[in-house]
Amino acid sequence: MAYAYLFKYIIIGDTGVGKSCLLLQFTDKRFQPVHDLTIGVEFGARMITIDGKQIKLQIWDTAGQESFRSITRSYYRGAAGALLVYDITRRDTFNHLTTWLEDARQHSNSNMVIMLIGNKSDLESRREVKKEEGEAFAREHGLIFMETSAKTASNVEEAFINTAKEIYEKIQEGVFDINNEVRHTSLCFSFLLKPLHSSSVPVFPLFLLSVVFQQCVWFATLPLS
Amino acid sequence: MSDSEAPGAPEASTEVSTEDGSPAETPDRSSPTTPDNSTDVAPTRKARRRPEIQPVADVKEKPKVEEQPAEAPTPSQSTVSQGGWGYWGSWGKTILSTATATVATVGQGLTQVIEKAETSLGIPSPTELSARVEEEQKEQAESSSGTDRVPGDGSAAVESAFGMLSSLTSVVQSTGKTMITGGLDALEFIGKKTMDVIAEGDPGFKKTKGLMNRNSTLSQVLREAKEREEQQTAETESSDSEKKMVAHYGMLFDEFQGLSHLEALEILSRESESKVKSVLTTLSGDERVQLRADLELIKESFSLVEFDDEDVDEKKDEDGSEFVRELTESLEGLSVTATAEKLSKACRSTCSQITDMTKPEQEEEGSEEGVKKTLSVEDVHAAAIRSLAELTARSIELFHKLAEMILFSNSSTEASALSQLTVVLCKEISLLSKKFTSCLTTAGSNEKGDVLNPLITGVFLEASNSASYIQDAFQLLRPIVEISHIQRSAESTEQ
Repeated sequence: MAYAYLFKYIIIGDTGVGKSCLLLQFTDKRFQPVHDLTIGVEFGARMITIDGKQIKLQIWDTAGQESFRSITRSYYRGAAGALLVYDITRRDTFNHLTTWLEDARQHSNSNMVIMLIGNKSDLESRREVKKEEGEAFAREHGLIFMETSAKTASNVEEAFINTAKEIYEKIQEGVFDINNEVRHTSLCFSFLLKPLHSSSVPVFPLFLLSVVFQQCVWFATLPLS
Repeated sequence: MSDSEAPGAPEASTEVSTEDGSPAETPDRSSPTTPDNSTDVAPTRKARRRPEIQPVADVKEKPKVEEQPAEAPTPSQSTVSQGGWGYWGSWGKTILSTATATVATVGQGLTQVIEKAETSLGIPSPTELSARVEEEQKEQAESSSGTDRVPGDGSAAVESAFGMLSSLTSVVQSTGKTMITGGLDALEFIGKKTMDVIAEGDPGFKKTKGLMNRNSTLSQVLREAKEREEQQTAETESSDSEKKMVAHYGMLFDEFQGLSHLEALEILSRESESKVKSVLTTLSGDERVQLRADLELIKESFSLVEFDDEDVDEKKDEDGSEFVRELTESLEGLSVTATAEKLSKACRSTCSQITDMTKPEQEEEGSEEGVKKTLSVEDVHAAAIRSLAELTARSIELFHKLAEMILFSNSSTEASALSQLTVVLCKEISLLSKKFTSCLTTAGSNEKGDVLNPLITGVFLEASNSASYIQDAFQLLRPIVEISHIQRSAESTEQ
């Protein structure tokens, strides 16, 4: 049950692209063809292992409907990773990616790792968006890219785990500079290091001091503007 | 249990000391809501005003947090201001108690201290209490089936006999608004005594003060508490298999996504709060006066959580159908059916679990003693904690969904409906904890008190905590109702 890190993920993208199905496949290893429309946000969690370390993924599966945007945007804060999902059989979901990306960049921290996912790869016959297009978009915007199928589970594990690996590497490299980040967003929720043996105050990655945590939390509790 | 005294005790004291911090300055914050329960309130009030609490307030170590005491003196402000401890108002008291005394500790330090306090204060032991619950239930079943029950006669006697019980279970009582504050008072009273004990071993509360001053949000505190819990399990599991019996409320609560929903609800609440503030600063003149008056009204309806005492026969709600009916009633027109269904389902399964636990006992009463026991007290305790954690998590989820729907649909949401919902949920928690403890008493009739008591106390404690979380979630809805009101009135003037 104990884990070294807790990463917050958000899953975003147009309605009906399969966000909730991806989550269900990842957490429960099953596929549910008919899904209720997500209201606001739903949650999933799973433990993974990277580099011998237990990492807990706390996944926020947001509603894709336009009318929920103002609410779901509130949830971006503190996310370490984002899965930006489109449907390879619906061109419009691909066209909206720029808007989603802007949203994500604006409402979360700049170091957030974003994985672009072209879902429903099992429906090859109905494909409207070529794989190369997805790759090109990802390259252009500095995202990781994968095509997945929540139905067949193809690449689903990989999508979630590769995102975590990228985040983990960034932590190892010390890319996440809490002192700079904290003014805009709070990183503290996503990159808390959960030590196995501390008693009361969480211990942080080597480049963090616990004093920073205090400030970080303090900033986090301030209203956003 | 004795080997865990040292690590357990300081944690317990944290809970206690935080309780002390704010009420010391605002002694009347909860007392207006507890007028009709003089038996257990009186000693508590005395205790609360005792000066010995001061040292605790003084041990603030981080200069940054110094603004907090400033918040505390005005009760109305303390429930409004966001972020700090003050924001949680009087409920903050129990939150910390969970943060520090969550399950793992319940099995260790805190219960122990409570037990000590119980003996030294002459509080009846949990076993006694829940045994009396059973008696009472029988009595009430008899009297209510007898139809011509005189109100105020039998119930008054029961009431006085159960003064202490209701203060321990906090939610058990169906009279008036005392339900939750009563519990806090009793815990606080016990806590005061505990502090005296702990102060001897930890002068200046050096070990505990670090926990108190953290300016963080509720879900964070809970998360940290849960992590500590996990560590403790990990540490103890290998060495001491006996500890496994302790069910971990915090971990279960998180497993049912209670923490996540709470965190999300906090986010929405905070953002709404700051939006309300910025609207207020942009308005001027009459508009501003009008809005302030409107907000005041909303605030009032959130401060008055009324618990009506009409439902004495709710104890008959064996399959949870009564709860489901009340829940559906209070959620009418709030379009959160799917989430409410989850909660109803959880409740029904809990009820059938309880029925299963009690049934075989009655049926096989005549048969041999040895075969009778199928469930150990640990099993019953684990089931109780699990059910409480699940119901609470589902309740928080429901509040979170309500918040989203209020913001999304921007439909008129009466605060009274929300407070009614809070009452229904708290009552259910109270009812279930009561049923579970009487199951525990039955299952543990052959156990010694030192095995049974901590388990029963644990269930009561977590029930009290559950009720606090639900109350907190309810309070988090206030800014959301406010901003929704503002947006609606803006829309109506535009048209």
